[in-house]
Amino acid sequence: MFGFLKGLKVTFKQLAHKKITLQYPDVMPDFGERFRGVHKFYPEKCIVCNQCARVCPTSCISLSGSKREDKKLHIDTYDINFEICILCDLCTEVCPTEAIQMSDKFELATYNRVDLYKNIYWLDENARVSDGLLKKGETEEQSGGVK
Amino acid sequence: MAIRTEELLMNIGPQHPSTHGVLRVVVKVDGEIIVDAEPVVGYLHRGTEKLAEDLQYTQIIPYTDRLDYLASMINNHAIVGAVEKAMDLEVPERAEHLRVIVAELQRIASHLVFFGTYLLDLGAMSPFLYVFAEREKIIDLFNRLCGARLTFNYMRVGGVKWDTPEGWVEEAKQFVQHLKKQMDMYHELVTGNEIFLNRVKGIGKFDTETAINFAMSGINLRSTGFNWDLRKNKPYSIYDRFDFDVVVGENGDCYDRYMCHLKEIEQSLRIVEQALDQIPEGPVMGKVPKILRVPAGEYYSAVEGARGELGVYIVSEGKDKPYRLKFRRPSFVNLQLLPKLLVGQSMSNLIAILGAVDIVLGEVDA
Repeated sequence: MFGFLKGLKVTFKQLAHKKITLQYPDVMPDFGERFRGVHKFYPEKCIVCNQCARVCPTSCISLSGSKREDKKLHIDTYDINFEICILCDLCTEVCPTEAIQMSDKFELATYNRVDLYKNIYWLDENARVSDGLLKKGETEEQSGGVK
Repeated sequence: MAIRTEELLMNIGPQHPSTHGVLRVVVKVDGEIIVDAEPVVGYLHRGTEKLAEDLQYTQIIPYTDRLDYLASMINNHAIVGAVEKAMDLEVPERAEHLRVIVAELQRIASHLVFFGTYLLDLGAMSPFLYVFAEREKIIDLFNRLCGARLTFNYMRVGGVKWDTPEGWVEEAKQFVQHLKKQMDMYHELVTGNEIFLNRVKGIGKFDTETAINFAMSGINLRSTGFNWDLRKNKPYSIYDRFDFDVVVGENGDCYDRYMCHLKEIEQSLRIVEQALDQIPEGPVMGKVPKILRVPAGEYYSAVEGARGELGVYIVSEGKDKPYRLKFRRPSFVNLQLLPKLLVGQSMSNLIAILGAVDIVLGEVDA
């Protein structure tokens, strides 16, 4: 019986300790700068080298670009299918211009599978939200884009 | 007149909280006693080995995260170690130290989860909450290091992806000291408890010969008193530089397996402590060709995973993708003994025995 009581002593001692549970979603966790959340994309930086699409283990990135007046390749479409993306970070690792990066946004739950296909507008907006150039409330109206 | 009795076929799982995932066990019971048991696996099969045949070596690393999802770092270590051995690549000193540190911290996290969930299986709720608070600290350290909490994708062929952020090494040192103190509390909380001891002592016993015949490894083998740890017997990475003991049991019962887990946490803490003290400055990524082409041939390399010998067998044709990749998953091998262990035991012991074998279904089904 002695060992049993010893265990109870530990439990009672714990009563006095501070609570450590984080009250999510009222309190948001701080994951730090390296956290791999949903991607953000900077279209002006992209040179359409296609490396991110090639390195992706699940082939969830598809993109296309075209030559403009300055005879350089510019990005036209950039889609990520978050149904199969595993957030492995290999795409941001190979990107030579850091056009594709990971943001700290991580809540991806939707009511519709189609909503998980994110296009260039959504990813660009995510970059501006994550950099603080755009407020969260504004995105609700402006997003939509092509789903 | 004798009462006519019949054997009853019972299904446990795949959606059962105590099967640690999606394991299904079909048991035949005579009253309370198990007459026959058959584990049914494959509910989490994703075809990792087949997928790997169509992936470059770097692309395989995130898939290994999802094998034994409680010990992703060690899985990473297994695959990058195998490719490095096959290609004869040099890894910088700092990267090797970082690998050992994260692998051992991961082993601690994995064993803590064993401790918590095993007690949960046996009906004790609070130890689970205690250890998850500590595991959370390890996960936070990893999150700051590589940006993920479970699927780390941290190691690369030729090194590791990230160097430590500022203050990380000091924080890890503090954590090691903190957990050392906590270990005594765990023993006080559980190890002396009479109810717990009655549930685990002498239950699920097997001897060394059986364990070797069933190709078991890791704690399941060591708990029978057989001294076999790849970190000591076939040192890989830089494990030969650290001073630690291999934990062995005596009787090979559930209690021994439980004690081995707890003692191994203490030994892992010793390794982490030494590695954190010795960690040199320098690069974390060695010189590696841009496209990894493993020379044609067959290669095997293994690491001591949290659950046993985690081996990677590569058959290469000299291309940038493996011709065939085989993972020797310790959970899958260790599970094979389960039907033998269960026969003759009562139904309530089923969970105690299954829990102590310590399987992760992501690894069993791969």
